[in-house]
Amino acid sequence: MEVAISRRKFLQGTVAMSVIGATVATNLLSDEHDKSSKNGKNIFKNSQTGSQRAQEVATLCEMCVNKCAALARVESGAITKLNPNPKFPKSKNMLCARGNAGIQSVYDPDRLKYPMIRIGEKGEGKFKRVTWDEAYEAILNGTDKFPGLSKILKEEEDNRSSMLFCAGEGMAEHTFKQFYQAFGSSNWLNHSSICLQTVASGYGVTIGAYPQADLDNAEYIIMAGANRAEAIVTPDTMDAFKRTKGRGAKLICIDPRFTNTAAKADKWLAIKPGTDLAFVLALTYVTLTENLFNTSYVEQYFNGFEEYKNSVLSNNYTPEWAEPITGIKAKEIYAIAREFAAHAPKAVYYPGRRSTFASNDFQLRRAMAIFQSLHGGIDVKGGLIFGSKLPIKEHEGLAPLYEKAQARAITKSTVKKGDAGYDDCAVVSDGGSWISWRNRYIEDKMPYKVRGMFCYKHNPMMNMPNTAKTAQMLKKMELVVTIDTMPSDTVMYADVVLPECTYLERTDPVTTFGGVEPSIAVRNKVIEPMYETKPVIEILKGLTTKISKPLFEISKQFDSDIQDSIESDGEEDTYAEFNLTLPFLHTQEELNHHAVSMYIGAAEQLDRDGVFYPNMDVYYKALSVNEHQYYPENKKSYTVNGGKPKTPSGKVECVLASFTQKGIDSMPVWKDAYEFKVPAGKFKLLTGRHAQFTQSGTANNAMLRDLMPENFVWINKRIAQEKGIKFADIVEISSSIGKTRLKAYPTEKIAPDQVFFVHGFGGESEALTWAYKNGGNDNAVIEDHIEPVYGAATMHETNVEIRKV
Amino acid sequence: MANYGMALDYKNCINCSACETACKEENGILMGADKHRIWVGVGEIEGQYPLLDITSNAFHPSQCQQCENAPCEEVCPTHATYYDDNGIVRVDPDKCILCSYCMNACPYDARYVDDRTMTVDKCNFCSDTRLARGETTTACQTTCPTKVRTFGDLDDPESEISILLRTREHYSLKTHLGTKPKLFYLT
Repeated sequence: MEVAISRRKFLQGTVAMSVIGATVATNLLSDEHDKSSKNGKNIFKNSQTGSQRAQEVATLCEMCVNKCAALARVESGAITKLNPNPKFPKSKNMLCARGNAGIQSVYDPDRLKYPMIRIGEKGEGKFKRVTWDEAYEAILNGTDKFPGLSKILKEEEDNRSSMLFCAGEGMAEHTFKQFYQAFGSSNWLNHSSICLQTVASGYGVTIGAYPQADLDNAEYIIMAGANRAEAIVTPDTMDAFKRTKGRGAKLICIDPRFTNTAAKADKWLAIKPGTDLAFVLALTYVTLTENLFNTSYVEQYFNGFEEYKNSVLSNNYTPEWAEPITGIKAKEIYAIAREFAAHAPKAVYYPGRRSTFASNDFQLRRAMAIFQSLHGGIDVKGGLIFGSKLPIKEHEGLAPLYEKAQARAITKSTVKKGDAGYDDCAVVSDGGSWISWRNRYIEDKMPYKVRGMFCYKHNPMMNMPNTAKTAQMLKKMELVVTIDTMPSDTVMYADVVLPECTYLERTDPVTTFGGVEPSIAVRNKVIEPMYETKPVIEILKGLTTKISKPLFEISKQFDSDIQDSIESDGEEDTYAEFNLTLPFLHTQEELNHHAVSMYIGAAEQLDRDGVFYPNMDVYYKALSVNEHQYYPENKKSYTVNGGKPKTPSGKVECVLASFTQKGIDSMPVWKDAYEFKVPAGKFKLLTGRHAQFTQSGTANNAMLRDLMPENFVWINKRIAQEKGIKFADIVEISSSIGKTRLKAYPTEKIAPDQVFFVHGFGGESEALTWAYKNGGNDNAVIEDHIEPVYGAATMHETNVEIRKV
Repeated sequence: MANYGMALDYKNCINCSACETACKEENGILMGADKHRIWVGVGEIEGQYPLLDITSNAFHPSQCQQCENAPCEEVCPTHATYYDDNGIVRVDPDKCILCSYCMNACPYDARYVDDRTMTVDKCNFCSDTRLARGETTTACQTTCPTKVRTFGDLDDPESEISILLRTREHYSLKTHLGTKPKLFYLT
C-alpha cells in the first residue's frame, strides 16, 4: 500500500510561512520586558519538560467548550505540560491540540496583566494602567472620558436595565450571571443566538431535551452539517472515529464541503447548503411510505403523527422531489432511509452542535428529531440518549427586585417592526437574540436608554455577523466594562478593562456532567494568578464592595418599594436584600465543597483527582494504556426514561399548534424560499470550525498558530483557474456589508458556487501580536440575517464576490 | 533494556494535530512548520467535486520509523546518530556536525534541523523526557483523542504492543529497503 508520509506534503498543506518578524511590536498593553522579546525569537521559547517527577494538578481545559480533564505538570512553579486526565468519562483520556497548547494562554506576553482605563478615543486602544481600586472607582464614578454607573443610574432614575450584561460560554459564566441578577438589569445576552440555540430548542420542543448521541454503540450514523473530526466534541469525536471505515459503525457524512469527517466517513454526499431539511423530509417520506418506522413506539409516544404523515405525503416529499433541491441522488436517499431503519434503534441522525446556518434551522432540527423518533431511537443504547446527571447543591444567589428596572429592551410581537423595542423573532429566549438587540440599539429603537455594558469573556466584535455594526454599538455605549484574559477586539472598545486570570490560574464552579456515564468534575487552580490578574469571582467581589452601597443610595431616591421597606423594616434589613456583595462572600473552593457535600469524600477527591462519581473506586479501571472503564456496562445510563420523550406530554410533538399564532410553521415543511440560489458570478460563503482554533479566543496562541498560521479561503480549483487565482494568492471577499482579505486555497473539496473559510481570524486588535490582521474575518463579510424563531444569526446566507488583489 | 516499538491504528486518525502539539510541548520542539518530530501525511484529494475519491484523502500519522537497520545511523560520519540500550535511534547533539547526510538517507523524511541545538533532530520516543522519568507512554500516545498509538516493548511477549502485533494484521513502510522499521501500521 502506498502511504503518504512526506514532510513536504505536510508543509504544502499547512502553508509554511515564517511567523517571526512579520508583525511589529506596537503593543501598548505589554510591559517593557515583554516588548523586548516580541521581535526576537524569545517568544518561541518552548522548553522540554524536566527529567524529574513533578507536581501534578487535576484541572479542566478551557480552550474550547468541551471541558476535558487535564493533569497539569508543574515544575518550579511553571506549567510545563498538560496531559489528559484519564479519569473523566466525558473526555476519555485525551487532550487535543488546543488542550496541549493551553500552556501558551498562560505565558502569552500579550495577555491582559493589569486593570486599565481608557485615555484615548473609544476603540483606539489607548489605556493607562491603574490599580484595582482605581478601576472600580472609574466604573462607579467615571472619568473625564466616560460616565460611571452612578451618573448613569441617577440620570436613568435607577433603571437598572440601562446596563447590558453579556457573557461567553464557560464554567464561570454562572458567577458573572449572579452579578447580573443582583444588579437587577433585565438585559442579558449570551452566546446562544450565535451558537446552538436553534438546535437545542428544536430538539427541546420536539422530544423534551437536547439529547446526546451514543456513538459508542450506534451502528449507523448520519452526520449532516456536523464535522466531528474537526469541530471536536467529547466524547463523540473519540467514540465515532474508532469504528468507521467498515469497523462497526457506518458513517454517512452529508456536507457541502469535503471535510476531515468526510474523509473518515464510509460515504460522503455533497449537499447544497441550507437544504438539509428537504433531505430529512425525503428520508421521512420513504420511512412512512415503506412502513420502515417503529409502529409500537409511534403508537405509544407520538402526538400528531397522522397530521405530520399527511403533511409529508400530501406535499409529496419524495426522494425524486428532493434530488434537485439537495443535489443528493434519489437512490441514495432511498438507500439511507432503508439502511437507517435496518439498524434502528442503533442508528443515529446526529443532532450536532453548531451555530445556525440557514433560516430553516429550527424546522430542520424538528424534522431530524421526529425522523429519529420514528425509528424508536430515543433514550436507548446506540441511539439518542438523555443520560443521567448527578445532582449537586446550588448555593444562594441574590435576585432583588428594583421597582424602576424596566423589562428587557425588547417588547413582544405586538410592537410593529420599526417601533421602539420591536421584536424580530417569535420566541425570546433566556440568552436573547444578539444581533437583533444590537441592531435595535444602533437604530435608536430601544424602549428606554441603555447606556453601558458589562462584557465577560465575550468578544462581540469577532463573534457575530456584521462587525461594522458591532463597532457602532460599542462606540455608542457610554460605559463599556470588559472582563477578559486577552486584549481582544472588543476590549479595544472598553472604558475599563478588568484582567481575569486564565483558566489554569483559577478554580471554577464545580460542574456536573450528564450522559451515559455521568460524573462531577472541577477546574482546580494550577498556579497562582500571574501579574495582577484575578479570577472573576474575586473581581466581582471587589467591584460589588465598591459599588453596592453607593448604588443602593441611588435606589433609595427613586425606588418607592425600597423607601417603604426602610420605613417598616429599617435600612439595615432592607439593604441586606440589595447587598450586591452577598453572592461573592465565599471563595470558589468553599462553594465547591458545599456543592458536593452530599457525597462522602467527593470534595477531597475532586481536589486531588478532578473527577468524582459514586462508586468510582470500584467502577473505574484501566483496561489498557489507552482504554478505561468508567462504569460497568449494566450501570450505564443508556435508558433513563423507558424510551419516553421528556416533553411535558411525554410524547414526541410533531405539531406545535401554538407556533402558528407566531407565524411559525407548526410542522416542518419545505418552502421554495429555502432553495439554494446563488446569483451568477457570486459565491455562497460558508464558515465553520476546525480542530486547531476555537473561534477568535485562541487566535493569538503561538503554538496553535504554528499548526495553522492563518486561514485560507477554499475556492473550487476549476473556478480558481478560470479566475487566475493560484494557491496563496491574496484575494478579497466582499459582500453587501463589507470585505476582508485572505489567501486562496484552490481545491476540489468545495463546490464551484461556494467558498469557505474558518472563523476566528482577521482580528483588528493591535494588542494581539499574532492575531492582528492575520487572515480574513468572516464576520466582516457575513450579513446579519435573523432566523425567525429565536432570532439566531444565520451564518450561511451571504453571497460574496471574490477577486484577486 | 527494552526494544521499543509502536503500533499505529492509523484508520482512527482524524488529523487533529494533538500528537504534534503534545510532542512539541513535551520535548521542547522549536516552532515553525517544518520543525516537528511527528506529523500526519495527507493524501491529495482525487476527482472533481462532487465526485471525489473518499479513500484518496486518507490520513497517515507518521514519525521516525525507529529502523532496526537505520540508514541515517549508517551514513552518519561522526556517530552522532546511534542506537541506545532500548533500541531507539537517538542523536547526540555534541557529535552532530549538521552535514545532513542523515536527512538525505532517511527514506521516511523523518529528520529535521533544530536551529537551537544545531542538531539534525528526530523522534526519540520521548527518551529525554517521559522515558527518562520512568513513564511508560509517549506524549503522542497519551494525548491522542482516537487512540491511534500503542507504544511498548517488542521483546516482552506480554506487552500490549506484542499482543496487538500477534492478533492484528499490520504492515510497515518501505520494507523493501531492508530498514526493518519498528513502527507497525495496523489494518
